[in-house]
Amino acid sequence: MLTYLARRLAFAVTTVLAASVVSFLLVHASSGSPGAITAGAGATPAQVAAENHRLGWDQPLVTQYLTWLGHAASGNFGVSLIDGHDIWSDLTARLPVTASIAVFATLLSGVFGVLIGVAAAVRGGLADRSVTVGSGVALSLPQFWIGILLVYLIAIKAHLLPATGYVAFSASPGQYLQSLALPVITLTITGTAIIARTTRTGMISALRQEHIRTLHALGTPPWRIRYVHALRFAAAPVVSVLGIQFIALFGGSVVIEQLFALPGLGQAAQNAIGTNDFPAVQGVVVIATVVVVITNLVLDLVLGAIDPRVRTA
Amino acid sequence: MRVPRALRTAGGVLSAAWLVFLLFASVTASWWLPYPVDAQDPAHTLAGPSSSHWLGTDELGRDAASRIAAGSWISVGPALLAVIVAFGIGIPLALAAAEHGRWAEHGFSRFAELLLALPSIVILLAFVGAVGVHPWAIMTVLGVLLSAPVYRIFLGQAQSLRTRLYVDAARVNGVSSLRVNLRHVLPAMATTIAVQAAQLFAISVLIEAGLAFMGFGPSVPSPSWGGLIAAASQHVYDDPWLMVPTGVVLALTVIAANGLADAVAGGREREAVPARHRKPRTIVRAASAGPHDAGGMLLDVRDLTVAVGGPDGPALVTGVSFALPPGTVLGLVGESGCGKTMTARALPGLLPEGVEVTGGSVWFAGRDSADRDLAGLPDNELRAIRGREIAVISQEPMVALDPMFSVGYQLTQPIRRFRGVGRAEARRIAAELLGQVGIVDAGRMLRSYPHQLSGGMAQRVCIALALTGSPKLLIADEPTTALDVTVQAEILSLLRALVRTTGLSVIIVSHDPGVVADLCDEVAVMYAGQVVESGTVAEVLGQPAHPYTAALLAANPHVAEGLPVPERLPSIPGTVPAPPDWPAGCRFASRCSLATAECAAPVPATPVHGAGTVRCVHPLSSPAELPVPHPVERGVPS
Repeated sequence: MLTYLARRLAFAVTTVLAASVVSFLLVHASSGSPGAITAGAGATPAQVAAENHRLGWDQPLVTQYLTWLGHAASGNFGVSLIDGHDIWSDLTARLPVTASIAVFATLLSGVFGVLIGVAAAVRGGLADRSVTVGSGVALSLPQFWIGILLVYLIAIKAHLLPATGYVAFSASPGQYLQSLALPVITLTITGTAIIARTTRTGMISALRQEHIRTLHALGTPPWRIRYVHALRFAAAPVVSVLGIQFIALFGGSVVIEQLFALPGLGQAAQNAIGTNDFPAVQGVVVIATVVVVITNLVLDLVLGAIDPRVRTA
Repeated sequence: MRVPRALRTAGGVLSAAWLVFLLFASVTASWWLPYPVDAQDPAHTLAGPSSSHWLGTDELGRDAASRIAAGSWISVGPALLAVIVAFGIGIPLALAAAEHGRWAEHGFSRFAELLLALPSIVILLAFVGAVGVHPWAIMTVLGVLLSAPVYRIFLGQAQSLRTRLYVDAARVNGVSSLRVNLRHVLPAMATTIAVQAAQLFAISVLIEAGLAFMGFGPSVPSPSWGGLIAAASQHVYDDPWLMVPTGVVLALTVIAANGLADAVAGGREREAVPARHRKPRTIVRAASAGPHDAGGMLLDVRDLTVAVGGPDGPALVTGVSFALPPGTVLGLVGESGCGKTMTARALPGLLPEGVEVTGGSVWFAGRDSADRDLAGLPDNELRAIRGREIAVISQEPMVALDPMFSVGYQLTQPIRRFRGVGRAEARRIAAELLGQVGIVDAGRMLRSYPHQLSGGMAQRVCIALALTGSPKLLIADEPTTALDVTVQAEILSLLRALVRTTGLSVIIVSHDPGVVADLCDEVAVMYAGQVVESGTVAEVLGQPAHPYTAALLAANPHVAEGLPVPERLPSIPGTVPAPPDWPAGCRFASRCSLATAECAAPVPATPVHGAGTVRCVHPLSSPAELPVPHPVERGVPS
């Protein structure tokens, strides 16, 4: 168990390092340079070179990377080339926005998806067919398209919720929830469709297992067979997919954050890339990778708790 | 020409048709477009659908239909490239890893894990930041990232394919590894490749649209679908219609890709679940229903008929009758496909989905109520009998226990339900039952999980599980078939001991007359869905009256002590006919050396061996008449 944990941790650190190297190389492969940005438009090549020298851009790549790594390890990601703000504090300030969306959408997708998927597998017939078709359609539409549709229907036509913007929880819990509602609903629609499909397939195969027949032969009540034994058997893939979704929401809610004007990590990524803010790009990649790695570690522990074959193998 | 399987379903045809139409439309767009992509019509800005602009116009009066068609290649092509790159990297790596063994696999797999653990969208964006907005280059990077899941999926497939006999044979015969992969491994993976490619394409189309929506798509004048939707979203207040056509075309494309994947996969995974029907079971009572009790027997089965899909469906078991006195062991014996298992599973109502009892009666003398006909009981009343009065142990102990729960949980849970005791007492009883089935370290066993048990241990636990409700009748369906020979003997002697010490009645299903002789008091020989002979073990196995019984005994590899071992075992020529081919007369006639014209008429069961029955026109009267035990020579057609 300890060696297993050590191996997982080593892999986690490797992943974060790999991501930082990749983003470092990408940043340096770019045609621009940070000096060109800080020196401003219309600067002479000499001014740009001076800026680049000040920023250390003219040093060997390895030196630059190790310098960056040393600072990053102590939580210093440098300052933005655009506004001079500290990148670490900017990103950590944005973290709650993205985390709120990701956590709410994952939880709601899990709850609705499992309920719908189980209903489809257990009831069969029309219920099953409508779930299959409905989830198929939901998964074929781009999330941003669904989001625009919801903005039109709920915000513009019905005036039920604000279309865009974000209010911090500390400012007003009620408005915080209202501002999150539309993006979370948008992401939950797709998430529910994926989880419902995974749950349905898992439940159908679980109910066909030989050990379920043993339980029938013992006169076990049907609810116990379905919701204790079959559901637990189907849970591992569902939890894995939920984890993948959480990761996707954290790293990939860029589109949704833009659509709903939410000041999250995705928006930071988009801004950094749009403005060639090199240190910020690197910071975003590393933070996103850390989130992925932590989620995967938690996922491993949860899967071990569900399935003794994983735990004791 | 053979039509590909994927195109034999309506969904497959429609999906393929849409994708072909899209490809055709995008390639030929410049020739037939009603309006040039950038033609502005200031008189009709943000107009809805009309005869001149089928799908409406945008804020500059540009024709929506023309723009969607013109943008289809740049919306779909790069996604196609991503799929090609993903497979171009993933599959060769998977084949190489499968071929070159542990070290290659280890290296590639670590690398794939690393790629999978990277936040792909953020990496894509970082790439956009570095090289700028080039859709084809961006989607190539996406293809590299997607090669990791492709590798994962196909590594498993390639590994299992490489161990197949025919692939092995090709390799042993000196076929080069490239040829083995091209000729044998790749074609076998073709279906999975097609399914995964279609699904990956759908994902890539959506990702590309998302990037374009954020402004990381093709530059402004040449519109891609994601860019069109982004532009339309600016007018969601004054012209919400504008986003509908592009959204629908995009969704249809993704649906078509997934539909094609489904069709290629044979639609098996998405197969609809039939509605659960709660219709009352329709039992056709046999005319000779007899008295309404078990007549002093524990179990009295009369004229039991089991069929697929109701009374009109093909029958699997017809007119089966036998009786089981309390405290005895009955063997149901016969070749595979004789209906033994169906008969046994019909008794407590545990038939598979779609198979039901359509006639006859199963009178059972329960513990605390009057004798009941189990064949007529609704499922919830049968459930009260299962485990408590009748228990079942299955053929495959290794999969009969729930892998997610400890042995302790699986035993104490029914004990608490059956005996109404608390947790601690249930655990004590569970340990006692485990001791009873010969497990020495019960405490350790209670903490174990099924995957940690051997087959013999798992079967002992299954027997303990069957004993949790102190049933009167135990149905054991081939309880030793899946086990090693030495373990088989242990389990049989355990069953024998249980019968002696607990007074349990047992129905044991077996293809092995040796097991029956070893364990049973009574035996019913089944052939093609009927009981052809029944009686006590001594009578039926000692002096078989039915030619099938005699042939079965002769084909049994158990040799009595003192007799020479035959050089070649006699076998019964032919096979058991399938249910639809059952003749009206004797079902064994086609394989019987004594068959005559009379055997073509229906054969009733007639009394023999005192209380037993036989279904034969010319039953054997002495062992001398045994018809079959001459060995079948190799090469001689039987």
